[in-house]
Amino acid sequence: MTLNNVEKLTHHPSTEWQTMKYIVSVKNVVKNYTLGHVVVPALRGVSLDVAAGEFLSIAGPSGSGKTTLLNLIGCVDTPTSGDVALDGKHTGSMSERELTRLRLNTIGFIFQSFNLVSVLSVFQNIELPLLLQRSAGSKERRTRVEALLDRVGIREYEGHRPSELSGGQRQRVAIARALVTRPQLVLADEPTANLDSVTGTNILDLMKELNHTEKTTFIFSTHDARVWSYASSVVRLADGQLVDRVSAEEAVRVGGVGDLQGARTT
Amino acid sequence: MRGYFDTLKVIVLIAFRNLFASWLKTLIVGGIILFGSMLVVVGTALVDSVDASMSRSIIGSVAGHIQVYNSKSVDELAVMGDFRMEGADLDQIDDFKVMRAALLSVPNVKAVVPMGLSGAMVPAGNTVDVVLEKLRDLVRRKQAGENMTVAIESQKDHVRQIISVLATDIANVGKILTDKAVAPEELAAIRRASAPDFWNEFDKDPLATLEFLENRIAPLASDADMLFLRYVGTDLTAFAQSFDRMKIVDGTTIPPGKRGFLFSKWIYEEQVKLKTAHRLDMIRDAILKRGKTIAKDPDLQRWIKQNSTEVKEIMLQLDGQQTADFRTKLQRELASQESDVSKLLSEFFRVDDGNVMRRYKFFYDELAPSLTLYRVRVGDTLTIKAFTKSGYVQSVNLRVYGTFAFEGLEDSHLAGELNLMDLVSFRELYGFSTPERDREIEALKVAAGLKEIDRGNAENEMFGAKPALADQPAVAAKAVTNADADAVLRGLAGKNKREKREDQAYDPAQLGQGVVLNAAVIVKDPSKIRQTMADIEAAGTKAGLTLKAIDWQKASGLVGQFVTMIRAVLYISVLIIFAVALVIINNALVMATLERIGEIGTLRAVGAQRRFLLGMLLVESLAVGALFGGIGSALGAGIVAILRMVGIPAFNDIFYFFFSGPRLHPGLSLSNVGIALAIVLVVSGASSIYPGFLAMRVSPRQAMQSDE
Repeated sequence: MTLNNVEKLTHHPSTEWQTMKYIVSVKNVVKNYTLGHVVVPALRGVSLDVAAGEFLSIAGPSGSGKTTLLNLIGCVDTPTSGDVALDGKHTGSMSERELTRLRLNTIGFIFQSFNLVSVLSVFQNIELPLLLQRSAGSKERRTRVEALLDRVGIREYEGHRPSELSGGQRQRVAIARALVTRPQLVLADEPTANLDSVTGTNILDLMKELNHTEKTTFIFSTHDARVWSYASSVVRLADGQLVDRVSAEEAVRVGGVGDLQGARTT
Repeated sequence: MRGYFDTLKVIVLIAFRNLFASWLKTLIVGGIILFGSMLVVVGTALVDSVDASMSRSIIGSVAGHIQVYNSKSVDELAVMGDFRMEGADLDQIDDFKVMRAALLSVPNVKAVVPMGLSGAMVPAGNTVDVVLEKLRDLVRRKQAGENMTVAIESQKDHVRQIISVLATDIANVGKILTDKAVAPEELAAIRRASAPDFWNEFDKDPLATLEFLENRIAPLASDADMLFLRYVGTDLTAFAQSFDRMKIVDGTTIPPGKRGFLFSKWIYEEQVKLKTAHRLDMIRDAILKRGKTIAKDPDLQRWIKQNSTEVKEIMLQLDGQQTADFRTKLQRELASQESDVSKLLSEFFRVDDGNVMRRYKFFYDELAPSLTLYRVRVGDTLTIKAFTKSGYVQSVNLRVYGTFAFEGLEDSHLAGELNLMDLVSFRELYGFSTPERDREIEALKVAAGLKEIDRGNAENEMFGAKPALADQPAVAAKAVTNADADAVLRGLAGKNKREKREDQAYDPAQLGQGVVLNAAVIVKDPSKIRQTMADIEAAGTKAGLTLKAIDWQKASGLVGQFVTMIRAVLYISVLIIFAVALVIINNALVMATLERIGEIGTLRAVGAQRRFLLGMLLVESLAVGALFGGIGSALGAGIVAILRMVGIPAFNDIFYFFFSGPRLHPGLSLSNVGIALAIVLVVSGASSIYPGFLAMRVSPRQAMQSDE
């Protein structure tokens, strides 16, 4: 595959998407980590546009750069070079504070390990981003949190602490927390990795449903080929580079990216 | 605003949940804070109370609120706790009248008491000398024709007893050390006096024998202790009015216009009283007032040992009849067959908790009436020899009028260290001129034929303008004859006698003028001491004086610094405790931060600003600080309240002074609690700085726990 081909692949295959607004626009992003004296490249010039309303999966084996790419899109990390724009705003020039505000107002996060605040109840965990926003009054917060509790089906657990919940229930809390601020974009890092397959499927169903009903853009990373079918399209990464961007059906048909990884590992 | 409140609520919530989650750590940190704040409350309350009571002691005993002295002085004035024998080297203030007028012109000044502080060694009599003096008197009266045989025999008996006591002493020295430790001439003297035919010699030539006894034997009795007395020369009337805690214990005060000496009761007991009796008093006081027991207290045991080994002091006082009397009484009391009175006394003084009160009573009822309990008695004349400022020895005979103490400070060494004398005698001892002395010196000059000449004319006056040295008298003066000088000196001697007859009167007007070293100032409003000190110095300058005003704390010297020292110790301890607390809280929070890196990263990822995290840690440590600091302060306040009710007993005479009485009842002020809480909150806040810094550096990436 030539570089030109890769460049082409970064754009959405369907012409339908090209007229749509890009919520995420990643341009030629490089990310290197320095470990002692060794520079380890995590992303080697990745470009990617994500249109609003997509349910995009970033696929690839361990070490392919999925999480790094999500970190950069989620503004929790900054690229070594290249540009990341969220909803048309270039993040490179933003201060730490502005980035934090951007995360709070624009992005919802779902983590592989759920990352709930253990000392807060389910309700309080979901309410937390609203409290950080300081825009909604307590009544509105309660309404929104309760609506989401109903939506993700854990209303009866609102007073429980995360430690009292199962993995699937915890991830539902995390999803509710990610959605409570009504973000334009939800980033999910391996959301099903710590769940059994049935629960994982349920979670993906829930995410997909919310993608439809709330029109929220979802980007989730996974190395599990079984969940690709949920995605509107799949971006496949290997060895820090974007391999291709295909429809879910094609991704499922083509299968894993192990061959690519094998060819590119340095 | 509501948004802020809600955010704060969640911060508090997270912080508190964290505290509960690691409750053991919270308890340990809280325990340290609790102890620290309790210490601050109790410590500052105690120090403040000691400060207040000590100021009452110092201000009320001798310092007054402010002491004023000459700013040109080499030393600083220290009324108490000065280790120099002669006191501080102060420049004089020439005219108290001018000084007093200047000081009284300051509106806050209520009273001014002139003072001078000094000290002297005073010989307080030797038992043997007293006995020999009595014998000499009897011999003289016999020679004058009176029938003194019985009295002389009894007195001879006493001297014989003394010689035997001294002989035993010397023999003991020889035994314990070596014979060489005893001076041969002492040994020879005691052998001669102990020889059987010594008293035959006495009968033949009593005066020569007495001379031998006075010169050779009396010095061997080393009970002729010198008293070291520190004294304040002052206007006694003004002193008594300004220091109203002063009360006369024995005798009377020095009448106005009379020279005289007042012993501090404490010194009188401590230094003048028969040591055995004083020790018995101390043992009794320790048992009754401080609940000590002989079985447990090493001081009491030491005193008992001293009493039972140092019976010589009593033995020297006993004549033959008294010795026999003591023997009978002690044998009965002790149910003993021992005939040696010194052994009986030794046994008698070896008291224990069971018999001490009975023996005390027996001593004062049966033995003390035969003893001279005080070496100097009220009414005696004390010869005080002191070095004057310029270094020569000056001596003054002063009648002891009585003893005094300060109400509530009777048992305090520090308040009782200074004796009192009239200002006029003080001036004389210190080498200042008095009108009488000026006249005396003038007379002596006339008698010696001296003429004052100025320096420029000295040569001409002494050697004449012309070089004919041999023709000129060596001293140019008016012609005086030996007869003239004799007349003047006879006059002086006559005057001295007259003075004695008049009981050393002086013109009371002298107190209001003349030289003083310092003055105590009593103010109307003690809260304005600082301002008054400045006013005094200004008033001094205006009057052409160089006055320095110092507050009571400084004036009292080392003693006054005690509270400052205690405060420093307290603050250092508090500092150490809270430094430890700071380190521990800091470490606990650092640990907590490190344990919660994932959570902090999540909070950062979902949009928590750095200050949110800082706030969280701050609330966490402040909550612990406020809670445990509050409990600690409350406990401290409770302890102070209990101490106030019960009172802290003064362990010894120094504390007696610091507590201004036998017990301290500490008070609690709002500032004690305020300081404790302020320290706790500052320390808590400070200890969250570093963990806060760490937390702020946690990247939101930490939340992304993935395979990368």
